[in-house]
Amino acid sequence: MRMAIAQYYPGSSVLHHFDPRAKIVAVTVVAVALFTRDAFRALAVYAALAAIGLVLSRVPPVWFWRGLRPVLWLIVLTFIAQVLFVPGEAFFRLGPIGLSWRGLELAGYLSLRLVVLVLVGSLLTLTTSPISLTDGLAWLTRPLRALRVPTEELALMVTIALRFIPTLLVELEAIMRAQRARGADFSHGGPVRRARSLVPVLVPLFVVSFRRADDLALAMEARCYVPGVRRSRLHPLRSGWADAVLLALVAAAVLAASLI
Amino acid sequence: MTRLIDIQDLRFTYAGGTEALAGVDLRVAAGEFIAVVGANGSGKSTLARLLGGLECPSAAAQAVVCGHDLLTHTGRMAARRDVGVLFQDPENQFVGSNVEEDLAFGPENLGWSPERIQSRVDELLAAFGLEDLRTREPHLLSGGQKQRTALAGVLALPRRVLVLDEPTAMLDPAGREEVLRAVGGLRRDELAVVYVTQEMDEVAEARRVVALRAGRVAFDGPPPALFADAALVGELSLGVPVPAEVALELDHRGRSLGTLPLTLDALTAALAGSRTS
Amino acid sequence: MSGLAGIHVACRALSFAYVEGDRSIPAVNEVWLEAAPGSSTALLGPSGSGKSTLLLLLRGLLEADAGTVELDGVAPGAAGYPALQRSVGLVFQQAERQLFAASARDDVAFGPRQLGWPESDVEQAVAESLERVGLPMQRFGERHPYSLSGGEQRRLALAGVLAMRPRALLLDEPFVSLDPGARRVLAAVLDGLRDAGLTLILATHDVDQAWALCDGRIVLAGGRVAAAGGWEFEAGGEETLRAHCLRTPSLVELWRRLGRPVAEAPRTPAAAAEALL
Repeated sequence: MRMAIAQYYPGSSVLHHFDPRAKIVAVTVVAVALFTRDAFRALAVYAALAAIGLVLSRVPPVWFWRGLRPVLWLIVLTFIAQVLFVPGEAFFRLGPIGLSWRGLELAGYLSLRLVVLVLVGSLLTLTTSPISLTDGLAWLTRPLRALRVPTEELALMVTIALRFIPTLLVELEAIMRAQRARGADFSHGGPVRRARSLVPVLVPLFVVSFRRADDLALAMEARCYVPGVRRSRLHPLRSGWADAVLLALVAAAVLAASLI
Repeated sequence: MTRLIDIQDLRFTYAGGTEALAGVDLRVAAGEFIAVVGANGSGKSTLARLLGGLECPSAAAQAVVCGHDLLTHTGRMAARRDVGVLFQDPENQFVGSNVEEDLAFGPENLGWSPERIQSRVDELLAAFGLEDLRTREPHLLSGGQKQRTALAGVLALPRRVLVLDEPTAMLDPAGREEVLRAVGGLRRDELAVVYVTQEMDEVAEARRVVALRAGRVAFDGPPPALFADAALVGELSLGVPVPAEVALELDHRGRSLGTLPLTLDALTAALAGSRTS
Repeated sequence: MSGLAGIHVACRALSFAYVEGDRSIPAVNEVWLEAAPGSSTALLGPSGSGKSTLLLLLRGLLEADAGTVELDGVAPGAAGYPALQRSVGLVFQQAERQLFAASARDDVAFGPRQLGWPESDVEQAVAESLERVGLPMQRFGERHPYSLSGGEQRRLALAGVLAMRPRALLLDEPFVSLDPGARRVLAAVLDGLRDAGLTLILATHDVDQAWALCDGRIVLAGGRVAAAGGWEFEAGGEETLRAHCLRTPSLVELWRRLGRPVAEAPRTPAAAAEALL
């Protein structure tokens, strides 16, 4: 039930073994660089990078497809919008709407760029476990502690929230079934009616969750958790030369893309 | 034997005004395994939390656990180190993303080195039969497995007192057996165990039972002495096994069997005995 | 409940498997079940044996992969089927988790209102069902559900189902995690419902509770029926129970040990005491 955009595919490929911090930096850099220069050749470099990553990850392609599916509508919409509304020499007319080669070119470029962006993002989430991702982000955002942002505590919160998602989903399903057994109907009616029909589901879910949170906080305190105190990790992040290579590769790609 | 729990006239009132403990006395020495019983609202869970340094007593003549004064903040924080508490709900104690991570949670909080944490985690996995579940995620574990993990996690840090607050209440019979077996393996000379329950048959393991009623101690002695008092057992509204229920019903109807039998063997023997007398 | 007879609940060769990604996990495998109108049947079996899934299928909340569920002899697709389906009440595990309204009466009224009844009928149904579960309207009607104890909340959830005037009642582990006092009260309520003529199907792992409340039992193991019909203790029925890690009901065992005819074994400790006087 989880969206493939944030889904983790366990494995032992080269990409799986990179330090999450290196991966996060790499993906962020590529994502930003994608939007700094509008040229097919630059895009081709990043597309090639994504393709190589896809192969090296040893994740079945269907998972990347699942990541693209939710944004397919956006890609198609962008394509159509550019094709139809960009001014230029038309080679086909249908009343006031004309299709130009330039529109086609722009549409293709923007759509492809979106695809590459999603693929690169999927590469990160498919090859990095949620815990590693959280740990990596926590480390990278540590400078924010100077601004009194509790990065460690937030990271722990995210990890715990992720751990409880399957539990909440099971809970949600049980509550929906119970209310359905009492005649509740979640699928009919306009938006207002449907929103109101969710009250018998959301209220219990919230109540259960708050109770859980209370219990969990107590259990954590019983195991000597103190917010603000520095915690160690069972599996601390350890980077190596491979991560340096990854970052160097990405830097080279960005350089190449800006010079082509 | 060192006295690990030394409590006199402990009182606790909730913010809303409900008085949960109205003056409890409790002394437990190292190596003791005591059961604490009582109906809902008798103050058992509150006592468990106070012993673990998780709540501040409203008042007490004396409230010392493992040498720490529960009336002070530092004392309570120190008590959390020495006293482990296992709660009822297996789901709401599972912090980590998988078994291994959950076992590591306590040691991580104390800043242990990764190597030390790993070796302790390996020990616990072996000691509690959890090796096959090392990387299992919580939603794929049964209630019994989660509760065993929680118990192991609580014991990851060296404890001098272990408090278990109705650990089997939410488990099915298989899970209950798993956890009872794990708890049974915990008897050690230096450890004091306080086992809170509402089920009479879980009391049999203990050599001493403390019964709470309306925030006070109604009984403190060996289980057989409690079982002999059918009236008191009835008043305490405890969960009694069927043989004991039959004996209680007979008692209501004027036929007393003496000591309350917990097993069918004891019941049949008592019936045979009382017929001849 | 007034005047409505229990319906006949049956399923034939019912099969269902959960689909997770590309895996198919069979939960119920070719199950045949017959529950006569007004009968009470225990659905016994360990966790994961398919009890909850079977109840969901009987109520029509899950669509079977194969086989049919017949209610009062009417098969799915026939004209009267949806109405019959609505007359099957299902009380989920930890049913109190479904409470959401601001007052007890509002929560109980949810079901009848969804069924489109006129408000006067709704009010009557709510008052009747609150009375039935021991939470009379005068004392409990305006109470906020979360201010009630665990046992009261569970009975309130039961009232919510009873308010829809079901003619069959399916209960999924209604006694789990209730304290002993609450268990006793709930058992009495279910006793009353059985006497009122509802067809009861009770999924439980508590053999003694099942013995006290049900005329017959079905043992599920791995999604299949291992034994069905009345309680049989002479003709090897006991072996079936033991083979699936279920013990013989304590009172049956007691009667056997006392040399009394097992067929006359009492259902409750009170009845046992009466017979032993």
